[in-house]
Amino acid sequence: MSVRFRLGLLQILAPFLAIGFGALVASGIILAIGQNPLEVYGLMVRFSLTRSDSIAAILFKATPLIFAGLAVALSFRANVWNIGVEGQYYVGGFAAAWVGFTVRGLPGVLHLGTAVLAGALAGALWALLPIGLKLRRGAHEVITTIMMNYIAGALVLYLLADVYRDPAQAGTPRVRTPEFPPGARPPLLRPLLDAVGVSIPEHSALNAFLLLAIVLCLTAAVVLARSRFGFEVRATALNPMAAEAAGIRLGRTQLLMFLASGAVAGLIGLSDILGFFGYFDIDFPKGLGFLGISVALVARNHPIGVIPAALLFGFLDRGAQGVQVFADVPREVITILQAIIILAIVVAYELLTRYVRAQRKREAERLVATPVVAVAEGG
Amino acid sequence: MALLASAVRLTVPILLTALGAVYSERGGVFNIGLEGIMIMGTFFGAAITHLAAQALPGAATDVAPLVGMLAAMAAGVAFSLIHALVSVTFRVDQIISGVALNLLAVGLARLLNILFFGVATQSPGIRGFTPVSIPLLRDVPALAPIATGISPVILAALGLIVVGQWVLLRTVFGLRLRSVGEHPAAADTLGINVVGMRYAGVLISGALAGLAGGYLSIEQGRGYLEGMTQGRGFIALAAMIFGNWWPLGALGASALFGYFEALSLRVVHTVIPYQFITVLPHIASILVLAGFVRRATPPAADGIPYSKEEN
Repeated sequence: MSVRFRLGLLQILAPFLAIGFGALVASGIILAIGQNPLEVYGLMVRFSLTRSDSIAAILFKATPLIFAGLAVALSFRANVWNIGVEGQYYVGGFAAAWVGFTVRGLPGVLHLGTAVLAGALAGALWALLPIGLKLRRGAHEVITTIMMNYIAGALVLYLLADVYRDPAQAGTPRVRTPEFPPGARPPLLRPLLDAVGVSIPEHSALNAFLLLAIVLCLTAAVVLARSRFGFEVRATALNPMAAEAAGIRLGRTQLLMFLASGAVAGLIGLSDILGFFGYFDIDFPKGLGFLGISVALVARNHPIGVIPAALLFGFLDRGAQGVQVFADVPREVITILQAIIILAIVVAYELLTRYVRAQRKREAERLVATPVVAVAEGG
Repeated sequence: MALLASAVRLTVPILLTALGAVYSERGGVFNIGLEGIMIMGTFFGAAITHLAAQALPGAATDVAPLVGMLAAMAAGVAFSLIHALVSVTFRVDQIISGVALNLLAVGLARLLNILFFGVATQSPGIRGFTPVSIPLLRDVPALAPIATGISPVILAALGLIVVGQWVLLRTVFGLRLRSVGEHPAAADTLGINVVGMRYAGVLISGALAGLAGGYLSIEQGRGYLEGMTQGRGFIALAAMIFGNWWPLGALGASALFGYFEALSLRVVHTVIPYQFITVLPHIASILVLAGFVRRATPPAADGIPYSKEEN
């Protein structure tokens, strides 16, 4: 029991140790640019956690990251590497926007629902080619998905600049689609939060996509833990050969998880595009798909772990704004902090896994050895 | 002919990085972090060249870029050391380690550029090497455009390819490196230092990708610009696969990608929108990987961490 307790404690402590290590290394950088790390971290925490607009900003920033982290985690759980979440997110975001500004006359809920479906479908379609090529032709999905990211970028740029550019913006440097009607915009969370006594600033764009993200995480967790399909995914990840011998169709499991990953990736941008901008702009936030990889790694690919991990990155991002404005520390310091946390966390998890394995082995050896000892003592 | 000359110039960074990838993967280590290593090379190459030129005003013109090139390689080695440490020593999944390395490189390059030059995205302009001409080839009219006024790094890159092919095929080091990538347990029983060989492969790949980055910023860009690698580190991996994990194969594949890239810079007036022309190399990469052009066989233990206890 105490071994079990110790292992559980280590599992929980590991990410904190890694964050501490990251903070330590970043301290060196902060010292090197002539600032006091303790003051900078103090400011970061105060700025991010004591202001109501910061809380709203962290939640708003975490919303796309939950989708992104979940998307990455779903593919990683099935031992396939979807590094193409970034591209699937571009394509899904544009598809949802297209429904947003072209479809007319649908009632609000249906319009928004169609846009969400279009985003998910486009994301899944963009994921279909790399996973298809992997399963049929053995093309390594890491590189093909990265290439698909570049192609998605070019495709969206083309659609935006040459096909669907808002004619009202012609003659201005703005490259964006026409605006969406109110029906395609998600409901804001402010009234709901007001009702339960949490006040967030009026300008906050925090919207229902946060709830959708959380619901998707919970659903994924239940499916993975409790359903037959979830069992097949876990078996595939633990031991592909044994799973196949047991009649699990490896390719099918990986295909479905990869498509689910792409579908969730298609939703990453919706909170920003539909909930904040109200149009698809050439300067839509980029890099969220790659951040999703970080989120998934911190969460150890667990759908529920994705939520706190995304909040951590939301906090770091908000804190970075704070230290940039108030302490004159470039926000890139925090980007580096994030990357070091990732490296430290994956090393910590790896060491932990190895320690657990060694413990189990020792325990098994003890169990096997016990009767022999008893006989020896008896004689 | 101008197209060909441009293709040669654009081949070099892909070629050097692909050669690096060959060393790393022949030793059994995936290196998705090559893109990040290249980014480090572009920054340190340009920054150190700039500083060297300021510090040594009286020196010969080629001294500063040479110092910058060496700095780019050193930065590549230092950065790839992280990958080796995390993925070989700690045996973390090599893809994860490489992805984290790329994230780190983007942030680090921006921060360093702010600290050095006050802005995040570009360095001051710099001077590269004095261009050279190849004595006999430049007299052949057909080859003149690609044999005159070229960067000495292009010649060095071609030399490194030939050396690489020889090292991997004919030297003890090359044989040991390959044995570690094919069957580390067997290599281990023969007394070959598996961890040491894998470190060597990864660090060589770092030096070469750093050099490729240095070439991009010093010789081609005449300064560092954020995002100037444009995914060439990933394209180089595709080139390595297309080249069947051999340096000479990587040469052919990189030349193909270089040609596509040169084409994408030149073809402006076509019915195909220019955005799609710019991703020709990326589309070609996918076709190559899918084996529509040729099937490839990777080293048997490529990407699998090795541990004495578990084998």
